[in-house]
Amino acid sequence: MKILLGTFRKDDEEYYIVQEDGVISIEMDPQDMYIANYSLAKSRDLIVVPEKSVKNGEGVFDFRYGPVTSGIGEAGVYHLYTYGERILSVEIDLSYKHRDIVKRMIGLDPEHGLKMAENICGNFAFSHSFAFSMAVESGVGKIIDSKSQRLRIIALELERIYNHLYVISQLAQAAAQKVFASHMSYLFEESLRLNKAFSGSRYLKNFNKIGGIKDFDDGKIQNLKTNIQKIVNDFRDLYDRSLVSGNFLDRLYSTTVLKVQDAVNFGITGPTLRAAGAKEDLRYEDKRYDDLKVPIRNDGDALSRMEVRAEEIFESERIILKECEKFNLDVEKSNDSNKGIGYAESPTGTIVYKVDVKNSILSDLYIVTPSFWGFNGLVNSLTGNVFTDFQFGVESFGINFADAAL
Amino acid sequence: MKWWPVRGITRHLTEKSSYELDSSVKPMNNIFKRSLHIYMIDVGNSNLLNFELKALQSTQYNTHRFGIYFSDSPRHSDLLIVLGKPTEKMITPLMNTIKQMPEPFGILIVEEDEVFDLKLPNVVGRLKNPEPSEILGTLLKIMGRN
Repeated sequence: MKILLGTFRKDDEEYYIVQEDGVISIEMDPQDMYIANYSLAKSRDLIVVPEKSVKNGEGVFDFRYGPVTSGIGEAGVYHLYTYGERILSVEIDLSYKHRDIVKRMIGLDPEHGLKMAENICGNFAFSHSFAFSMAVESGVGKIIDSKSQRLRIIALELERIYNHLYVISQLAQAAAQKVFASHMSYLFEESLRLNKAFSGSRYLKNFNKIGGIKDFDDGKIQNLKTNIQKIVNDFRDLYDRSLVSGNFLDRLYSTTVLKVQDAVNFGITGPTLRAAGAKEDLRYEDKRYDDLKVPIRNDGDALSRMEVRAEEIFESERIILKECEKFNLDVEKSNDSNKGIGYAESPTGTIVYKVDVKNSILSDLYIVTPSFWGFNGLVNSLTGNVFTDFQFGVESFGINFADAAL
Repeated sequence: MKWWPVRGITRHLTEKSSYELDSSVKPMNNIFKRSLHIYMIDVGNSNLLNFELKALQSTQYNTHRFGIYFSDSPRHSDLLIVLGKPTEKMITPLMNTIKQMPEPFGILIVEEDEVFDLKLPNVVGRLKNPEPSEILGTLLKIMGRN
């Protein structure tokens, strides 16, 4: 199935960024199957509204949550329309976090552009950096050495692991599972420390550069292997325990359901889409990942999203260990992407960069982020849930304002 | 069935008790030696600082043993942590939040690569891209414990 991720204009023609079966392509002719989110892709409005909104009725009021509240943590506003218990409709205002990044990036040289791309969203820093560097490199036809390619794959999986650990720790906290949440927060901090030991930065920043990876000491591979196994084994034990904890699972089961067709219509990718039942991952079509086993669930609720993320942690561990084993071997040639297009499967979904470089300066830029589409999915899936389920919905999508409002 | 509490009590996860200091930070007021309640406000950071503050609340640092608590409202707090450089729309909410802080209070500015040029009252310190252990060391200094 085709998923429309974005649309941009160039030389008076309209182009569509489309994901289908793990491949990103640029199309010129819009087709019925992804017309559903066309207007959203075109306007990219910072006020996210649901398809059907209910704002009036007996006792219905606007419960404004944000931008200064400890429950969200980030600068953004949720308008929850409710009469007290059930959420009738939700609007999300992303504009408080708007930093005008695209405009500020145009006119920079690619090296500085890379730095800005890393600063869009700190917890997806490496995915942004990966997609941006791929876009610039494909534009000039630069070949990346095998070692750098392997290191990039490892860093992308490390980012996935710490983000998934964070999401599950937040879900445990929201369900008041104190022991589980404390141990998860321990693993989260350990994974950040491992990132630092591996790349020099807790968030894998300043590790990637245009054309490869900055200096890397091969001796760090052994430390990575030992520690990643320690963290993931620890997590495996915790996760097994959480799956027999009835009062934890009850909070997540059938909460904020997003059906697969709706997910596709809203341009959702990543674990949220896979938890709704679609077998869609950019890594499937990448030859560098062989026999990839990405978990799929069918319910599309918060529990499915947590299960998909948990199992992705195990898969990421396998990928990292495999890359470490083959560290000194050549990689298979990856697919040729379109010129000037770069993409990455971030922990929450597809990130795409379309970059034009003229005279070593970024002359045009278009960025697709998974959180923008995630918020569109969220407003539609929150409808009809009760107030106390709000946190599970928000956390299980793994989205944030920094990534959505550029 | 695997039982939670057994795992909970058999592992000791809290780490060392002293943390590196930032000498530019001054102790705020000697009444906060045993308890400091913190409210953090994001005004436009890349979510990285939010993650660092979440990491500070992890088991390794165990901030509660020092009496450091994160509160849910600026009205219950002694220290306001401002994360990032304010976006245009966040300046007013930030100022309104500062007005709600009870006296005496302090403000700790935590920045990323972009520098912050707004004049705020009662600023007790500035940190740039800190790690949780650095933030904790600074908080202890602000409390006058170190």
